[in-house]
Amino acid sequence: MNWRALRRELTGWLWVSPWLVGASVFMFLPMGMSLWYSLSDYPLIESPIWTGMGNYQRMMDDPVFWRVVRNTALFGAVSIPLCTVAAVTLAALLAGRVRFSRGFQAAVFLPTLVPLVASAMVWMWLFNGEYGLINRVLAAVGIDGPTWLVDARWVLPTMVIMSLWGIGQSVVIYIAALQDVPEQLYEAARLDGLGAVRRFWHVTLPMISPVILFNVITLTINTLQVFAVPYVMFRRPDGTNPAGHYYTMYLYENAFVYGQMGYASAMAWVQLLVILALTGLMFVVSRRMVHYRGS
Amino acid sequence: MDTKPSIVDLGRRAAVGGLAAAGVGFALFGPRTGRDGQGQRNAGGGGGGRVVLNYWEKWTRHEGAAMQRVVDAFNASQQRIFVRYLVTADIGQKSLVAIAGGDPPDVIGLYSFNVPGYADAGALLPLDELAPKFGLNLSDYATGVRRVTSHRGQWWAAVSAAGSIALYYNRRAFAEAGLDPDRPPATIAELDAASAKLLRTSADGGRLERVGFFHPEPGWWSWLWAYHFGGRIYDPAGDRALADSAENVRAMEWMAETARVLRPERSKPFREGFGNYFTDANPFLTGKVAMIVQGPWLANLVGAFAPQFDYGVAPFAVGPGVAADPANPIGLIDTDVLVIPRGCRYPEASMEFIAFTQRQEMAELLAAAHCKPSPLAKVSEGFVAGHPNRGIGVHYGIFGSSRAFVPPQTRVWQQYKDDFDTTVQRVWRLEETPAAAMAGLQTRAQGYLDRAADEARRRGRGGAVGGVVGGAVGGGRV
Repeated sequence: MNWRALRRELTGWLWVSPWLVGASVFMFLPMGMSLWYSLSDYPLIESPIWTGMGNYQRMMDDPVFWRVVRNTALFGAVSIPLCTVAAVTLAALLAGRVRFSRGFQAAVFLPTLVPLVASAMVWMWLFNGEYGLINRVLAAVGIDGPTWLVDARWVLPTMVIMSLWGIGQSVVIYIAALQDVPEQLYEAARLDGLGAVRRFWHVTLPMISPVILFNVITLTINTLQVFAVPYVMFRRPDGTNPAGHYYTMYLYENAFVYGQMGYASAMAWVQLLVILALTGLMFVVSRRMVHYRGS
Repeated sequence: MDTKPSIVDLGRRAAVGGLAAAGVGFALFGPRTGRDGQGQRNAGGGGGGRVVLNYWEKWTRHEGAAMQRVVDAFNASQQRIFVRYLVTADIGQKSLVAIAGGDPPDVIGLYSFNVPGYADAGALLPLDELAPKFGLNLSDYATGVRRVTSHRGQWWAAVSAAGSIALYYNRRAFAEAGLDPDRPPATIAELDAASAKLLRTSADGGRLERVGFFHPEPGWWSWLWAYHFGGRIYDPAGDRALADSAENVRAMEWMAETARVLRPERSKPFREGFGNYFTDANPFLTGKVAMIVQGPWLANLVGAFAPQFDYGVAPFAVGPGVAADPANPIGLIDTDVLVIPRGCRYPEASMEFIAFTQRQEMAELLAAAHCKPSPLAKVSEGFVAGHPNRGIGVHYGIFGSSRAFVPPQTRVWQQYKDDFDTTVQRVWRLEETPAAAMAGLQTRAQGYLDRAADEARRRGRGGAVGGVVGGAVGGGRV
């Protein structure tokens, strides 16, 4: 390697060094440490002691762990498909020639700009069983509204409704994808006699399928890590509502409230592996369902 | 000739320029250490060349202002140490992280239930030798209060403010309901009878407008009732959870019976309509709940938001078969404590400050501002007479009672309590029978305790984590 080539090489390394240093110090090193902690008894203010797979075995017998797993999985199973369908539908409606479409797009996107905690506080009042606006509206049409935040059966619907409130970002991405579908494909479909619904099914959906895959993956990651909203809404002075207790909340409690960083680290690793597995599964399944234009 | 700069040249310039800009930025706006850094000698900013101590405390509003007055008095009393009062939310969690990170404050205002866990982990400095150097001794504290300062036979904490938990009742509502405001209920049967008279519903009976006693308000002590039924929820000697004890199950059955009377479909929205505790929408002050368990600080809320509110205070009622003895009442003692964390740079200066806060005049200043009893054994003549809480005598009565109790002194108390709260919610909503709920809780809670004992053994501390202190057992009578 001559001096010029070496200089170019070094320059390249210099340019990527901020990322390399940052990722090593703030990502790979903490990940390695958390892996070590997950195999230890580590109460945070004392040094870790090796316990092997003890923390992972403990999860199997921990009823609270299984409760938060069930709550989180149920929330994901309902929320992810619903948010995806709602976002694609809204985007399809707004991408067409609609009067004030820009205004509607802005209105749909706006809620994503509101900080999560502030949004949760507002929803707490909207869902309030006694004074909440939602129950007032229901009462006006003769329906006795539930105690959304208290009743175990209504916690999941509450969370799902709130998750729908935050689909604005996905909608904007879908609109961009929809506007990128070549017009000649629609013309060809029309010539073949396809109606609006079949055009959407056979043309639009395949063309935006990579974007759907991307959105579903990011939605899955975010949903399985849900924390701030239920932390604000379902933690009361008389304890956390068990139906509103989610995986990351329990992970946080173990780490910083109960001082069980080893167990919390093990939970974090299980969460990471589940998310990785689901993401991998989605990629595998998507091979037959996602259409890439260049392929 | 091509004079266009190459990408490499541009990159080098940008890189050097960027680094230079970052350096200038760091020099101008970067972090400062040294003179007013934590635990450093401070030349300015109020320190005046003195040792600066950072004191983390959870109190805000009038409680914070009162402690600030004590801090100001200390800072004015000498020229060597300057204390900075720093309000810290979620103090238990933040202190844990700060101590683990090796950068703790110098003094922390924790809750007494934090002490066993911190002490076991070696996160606190013991006060046994340090405190007497500054004239502070365990015997300075009131009998009941003394117990929460120690764990495993060592002294870890000074008491900044102490309270005992009693029944607060709305005298006007009592009179309206035909009850004698001067004769609060002493037994659970009397409490239930009073609740029945105080209950007010909408005309169709579908909505609750006022209830007598309402267990989930404020919901801070869901585990309390067992003690008033003659039991307890933790045996420190055997390190055993007692969630499924007959007394606790009986207490939970009593609670479930109240829930059945009020009916969940009415009590859930009723509870949802309660305002924030620290506002004028507090359900006790608005008259929605006529009787609650509370600490002496409630008097401050009355003073701030409803000065004309006519309240009475009494020891909380006792269950069947338990003697109601006004001279020896049952009641929880709950305290705020001051500790010196491991890694504190100036332990002696920190202790000097803590000892100052424990002087009789300072303790009484703080206690009066918090509407609490003084934690000290010696009380000045005018303190009780001029106390802003009309029920202060009841709180002192609990302090001196042999049947008073403190929160279970175990390292896993927070986890046990959180599970207790969640389980009690299910009982209150009639989703699970008391016996089944408590049996499940017992298994889980014993699991927490056993695991903590295993961990303690691994670390060479021996099994039981419940403390036996000065002849009194944690989580039991004091």
